[in-house]
Amino acid sequence: MHISDGVLPTSVTLAGFALTFAGAALSLKQVRAEDLPRIAVVTSSFFVASLIHLPFGPTSVHLLLPGIVGALLGPVSFLSITLGLFLQSILFQFGGLTALGANAMMMGLPAVFCGLLFRLLRGKTLKMHTIAGGLAGGLGTLLSAVILAALLFTAGEDFLGVAKLALLAHLPVVCIEAGVSAFIISFLFRVKPELLNPGGFPRHDR
Amino acid sequence: MTGNLEIYLSGAVFGVILGAFLLVFAAVLLIVRKKPGVRFQGATADWTLPALDAYADRSSFFHGWDPRVKIATIFFYCFAVASLKSLLWSAMALCIGIVAVIACRIPLRRTVKRLGAMAGFLAMFLFVVPFTSPLRQGEILLYLPFLHGIPFHGHGFAVALRIVLKACAIGLMMEPLLATAALPVTLQALSRLGIPDSISQMLLLTHRYIFVFLHETKRIYRSMRVRGFRPKTDIATMHSMGNFFGMLFVRSFDRTQRVYDAMLSRGYNGSFPSFTHFATTRKDWCKALLWAMIGLALIWLDRFRGYSTW
Repeated sequence: MHISDGVLPTSVTLAGFALTFAGAALSLKQVRAEDLPRIAVVTSSFFVASLIHLPFGPTSVHLLLPGIVGALLGPVSFLSITLGLFLQSILFQFGGLTALGANAMMMGLPAVFCGLLFRLLRGKTLKMHTIAGGLAGGLGTLLSAVILAALLFTAGEDFLGVAKLALLAHLPVVCIEAGVSAFIISFLFRVKPELLNPGGFPRHDR
Repeated sequence: MTGNLEIYLSGAVFGVILGAFLLVFAAVLLIVRKKPGVRFQGATADWTLPALDAYADRSSFFHGWDPRVKIATIFFYCFAVASLKSLLWSAMALCIGIVAVIACRIPLRRTVKRLGAMAGFLAMFLFVVPFTSPLRQGEILLYLPFLHGIPFHGHGFAVALRIVLKACAIGLMMEPLLATAALPVTLQALSRLGIPDSISQMLLLTHRYIFVFLHETKRIYRSMRVRGFRPKTDIATMHSMGNFFGMLFVRSFDRTQRVYDAMLSRGYNGSFPSFTHFATTRKDWCKALLWAMIGLALIWLDRFRGYSTW
């Protein structure tokens, strides 16, 4: 779920922008010049992944994958998610331009947190990786939904109902997200485990 | 509570209103009906990507504006609109948005599609907020048949309508903001405005890669369907989709290595050479002044009447 323009009070949108700039600047500090093209690649592959819809009963949901971004990129995931959301906003109008800061906080903070959680929980075995991946994936979406509800609530008491509904609507997505994330991590562990190593992604040896 | 205008709707009146609403809805659906484009059988996602700057080579009020000044001004204007509090001036902002889109000579169908992307989110507000907002003194309450327990709050409806108006008003401004200059030029302008150079480079690369990976995704998904994959709500689908995403990431990473090596061998040193030269004339500043004044006037008129939802 992306918050559109005109919902949040101006003070909240401006604070969101300030925090997002700070977060992105912190992320950017950890990035070396030669990493830029690779972060672009991760960002666009997650952008594409979020366009794919999975059937859920009569309707369909699309995945957000903040947990997986965090697991693959670590702290840099905040930057990646901010860029992805900016592009989604300007290409599709998913999430408004003025709400971009708030949206980036909503998705970026859970990604960074779940990345840390994943690093802590995963052991050496496939089973532990799968469980940690599922937890990170589900928790990432759940935290995003909680932040979304909190942001909507800052817009006034009129939005309490919407905030509750949005939180409720995310619960099935959390389950699907946890399942798919677990399978993604288990696939990556078996096929290309170096993607899950600390440092995010393989370095060039030049 | 006293001072509230309570209106009880009978079943017949409600039926007529609902019928009229459904008719309008069906008419809108007919008008904006999607043409069969690149779509997969059974897949519900729209896999087509809009080309953001397809109409960047036309000429208009916005095309001729120096991108740096244009971006800064419209960004400010968007925040001005977002902070409006009354319905009247939010509606006025929407009208200004429509005029701006017409002025930048971009097909309306594109703009309608852009606004359509917000429909789900905004519909949630329109349907939920009027029924769940708290009771206020002196507001209109509408009691619908079968729903006597939860009245339709006039104030809540005004709040939701205001959000829809403002979201559309700002959404419309995205066309003059982004579609009236080529994307590299827009990003170049962004980095002149203080966005770190590396960010605008990453945006440019990401935008380029999205099309590449979308192609890759279509290939993988087509081969899955050829092998009999039909998405359902079950564990097996999650397993297949997990592997699908995993494969997408693995291939993207592999591809990066090759692309990055190719970039290095062509002399990439961390920045792209730029051949865009920006020149700000007095005309650009006049346009900026005009547009900023419109934004400020909206806020002033909005606040001048004192705080009221209407």
